[in-house]
Amino acid sequence: MAGLRNTLLVARRQLGAMREDRYILLLLGLVVALGVVSVLGARHHTASETEQRARYQALVDRQWAEQPDRHPHRVIHYGFLVFREEAPLAFFDPGVGTYAGTSLFLEGHRQNSASFGDARHATAMLRFGRLTPAAVLGLLLPLFVVAAGFSSISGERERGTLRLLLAQGATPAQIMAGKALGIGTVAVAAALPIGLITAAFAAIGGDGQPPVTRMLALAATYTAYLAGWVLLTVWVSSRRASSRAALAQLVAIWVALCVAAPRLGASLAAALHPIPSRAQFTARLEEAQRQVGDSHNPDDPFFRALRDEYLARYQVASVEELPINWGGVVSREGEEVTSRIQEEHQLELVAAYRRQDRVMAWLGLLSPYLAGRDLSMAAAGTGPEAVEAFRAQAEAHRYDIIQRLNDLHIHEIKYENDRSQRIARQEWTRFPVFEPSLPSLRLALADRPHSLAALGLWVVLPLAGLGLGRKRLPRVGVDGSGS
Amino acid sequence: MRFAGVIAWMRLIRLEIARVIRAGGVRVAVLLLLGLGVYAGWQGGQRIQAADAATAVADIAYRDQLAYLASIYPPATEAGELLYYLAFPAPQPQSPLSALASGRAGIETASLRIRLLALEGQLYEHETLNPRLAAAGHLDLGFVLIALLPLFVIAITYDIVSGERERGTWQMARLFARPRRLVAAKVGARMILVAGLVMSLALIGILLAGIDADGRAGWAVALVALHTLFWFALCLGVAGGRRSSTTNAMILVGVWVVFTFLAPAVLSLTNAILHPVPEALELTVRQRQGYHEAWDLPKAATMDGFFEDYPQWSDQTVPEDEFTWAWYYAMNHRGDRAARDASRAYRDILTRRDKWARRWSLLVPPLAAQIALDRLSSTDLGTQLAYQEAVRRYHERLKAHFQPLLFSAAPIAEVDWEQVPAFEPAAPVGAASQAGLPAAAALILISFCVLLPAVRPRPSRDS
Repeated sequence: MAGLRNTLLVARRQLGAMREDRYILLLLGLVVALGVVSVLGARHHTASETEQRARYQALVDRQWAEQPDRHPHRVIHYGFLVFREEAPLAFFDPGVGTYAGTSLFLEGHRQNSASFGDARHATAMLRFGRLTPAAVLGLLLPLFVVAAGFSSISGERERGTLRLLLAQGATPAQIMAGKALGIGTVAVAAALPIGLITAAFAAIGGDGQPPVTRMLALAATYTAYLAGWVLLTVWVSSRRASSRAALAQLVAIWVALCVAAPRLGASLAAALHPIPSRAQFTARLEEAQRQVGDSHNPDDPFFRALRDEYLARYQVASVEELPINWGGVVSREGEEVTSRIQEEHQLELVAAYRRQDRVMAWLGLLSPYLAGRDLSMAAAGTGPEAVEAFRAQAEAHRYDIIQRLNDLHIHEIKYENDRSQRIARQEWTRFPVFEPSLPSLRLALADRPHSLAALGLWVVLPLAGLGLGRKRLPRVGVDGSGS
Repeated sequence: MRFAGVIAWMRLIRLEIARVIRAGGVRVAVLLLLGLGVYAGWQGGQRIQAADAATAVADIAYRDQLAYLASIYPPATEAGELLYYLAFPAPQPQSPLSALASGRAGIETASLRIRLLALEGQLYEHETLNPRLAAAGHLDLGFVLIALLPLFVIAITYDIVSGERERGTWQMARLFARPRRLVAAKVGARMILVAGLVMSLALIGILLAGIDADGRAGWAVALVALHTLFWFALCLGVAGGRRSSTTNAMILVGVWVVFTFLAPAVLSLTNAILHPVPEALELTVRQRQGYHEAWDLPKAATMDGFFEDYPQWSDQTVPEDEFTWAWYYAMNHRGDRAARDASRAYRDILTRRDKWARRWSLLVPPLAAQIALDRLSSTDLGTQLAYQEAVRRYHERLKAHFQPLLFSAAPIAEVDWEQVPAFEPAAPVGAASQAGLPAAAALILISFCVLLPAVRPRPSRDS
């Protein structure tokens, strides 16, 4: 009981000291203001993007349904446009969405890549980072914690009050716990407004159910992440004889973990697992497709074999006598083959991305910032898996629509005088609509064991350091250690 | 007397350099910065090689494709049919300076291949890019010099006065030199150290990344130097005061965070909100609609629009009741025509974004330097727009070359593929001085402003 009282007394003492420090108050005000501005700004930006994409999606849907009578192969080339919808919490953490394309043209014969990512439209400023609530919490709050707590124990030591505290019966563990509690309280005070407005926006914003589980996952992620920073700050402060040295060390750690590590990591991942450039990718794809054959060439071996097979199956002598439209069959079979090849290449590219991601995941064990960001985007639904899910679902939708059109071509269009026939316009409204779905939170988290472990370690390691170092607390700076 | 003064002065500086380097953390930091610099320079060189390889691949792929198409189509086939598939290479060579500031090099492809079809749908292809790596930010020499080096400057200067005062050595040091001269010597020593570091990093860039020592590179080095000087000025302005070392450190790190992260992030978000780009989606939708509508229109209607843009061919006609390639490509042109306004608006809004960023960046030293470096390295938004313009011009030249063949329904055999126009890369946007001068002026001006508190006469300079 006395232990708890001492801990609380130290915590109150730390809070009092911070309240009298005008720099800390200024910084707290700044962080809170920035947090609020970031939520408002990011929310505004995301909302207008979302509104825009929804508007164009509705337009494209309408244009599709209002098509005149058309030949199905024409519609295959007319194609369809889909726009990537952002997750409801994308305003909190846009994740990788900024760098992924937003509009994707679905047509026959080829897989296009999504274009018009946000990053395309950004200036060089973007490379310094974006003002998002996630960036304020992940990048700036740790620095605020450092500023608030670097002198928590070293300062008491410099003023000689640490010995007084110890003499009054507070154990080193109680002092450390009290300091952590005090600093943790201001960290919460800084983070809470961001969390509350985010929650408020998420609750009123979306048209569906508010993403409660995802918000809880975000809260848990940032609580653990910031708790690690609080513990680390107290730990370093407890080991240093001077506050100056503690501050220098903490800032150096922040720069290494939050600024240098992510960039170095990304660069290493790219160097270890290089991916083909767009030009190379396209060239390889063309090469592979040439191997299969050309559906427009009547003498192509692949399509000749196909023709013989169909003639045998229907026991007729020429394609003109087939009860179905041979042109449509060629188109469908060709689509199947080219789609398979393209998807193989695309999946190879995605696998290369995943290899790079794995390097980043391992590096997360060294940089809790990377691990925290990884979990944050998983919880927000804006991670790489969301982008890939959109791509895969759009491709499935494309394939479905194109083959439906080819089936119309095969069964509803006569082979003779093929191109002059039309499918009645009512048919277009019977096509399925594109309804993308976000990968589940459970799957996204299950895919990130490294980051979960890293965040756990990030809390446990400083805690262990504090525990092991508590005996030495009174001696630091006395016997020449830790200067 | 004067000579002796100079000798004493140099000795003071030499002693000071030795003292700074002796500090354990400083040696580690110098090694780290150099290590990162070597790595970033090497990576920059690799990136340029990869871009060159992509350029070569685009060219080879075009030749392979042409050979393949020529092999499967009988020579009597109309050229229009082969041209439907053929994608012409439009490779933009990388500036060697892009190793220093890679900018948008990884986002957009600079080796597009374009077909003779409607252009708007082909212009905006992304480079293969792992979004997760891109989101982590990228490391180039510019990042080491613009973002990290200032932290080193802060680390070695924040306590030049307060540190001596706190150790109690200030009074003694003052016996040997006047305070102002002492501070000047201390700052001078650190500047020499940092200049050595910057020079080493610049050499690394030249050796590892193959940067040419030309006018653009000269401006880049000058901007990096001015930017570093700004941080010295700021440190001196703050550290010359009577605050404690920890307070100085907090203020300087705070300013660094504001300049390097907050201000760019706030400006970036403001820019995005002020200049939204709905036209990107608009032009995609319009081009598709404009092209496909034409299938259901009389062919003459499509041709009328085409002849409006190309009066030189207005004496040509296409038959109304049969398919011709001349009409088919005119229909593609109709798609581009339909998207023309949206496309222009799209470019306008991006140009406005670029200008806005350029103007407001002048208030934030690291941004001013970075944006100027990106332009000098031809990796900025303006350069990307210029590349798109060059591709547009190339598409027009291809059209001018092939359209007569389409009107005459010429067979493949009649095409001389050696005569096909080649892509002419975009020239660098603006002269080097045009990119560097505003940033340089801003950096100098801001440096003076932040130095003022240090040089302002104070009533009492002792204690």
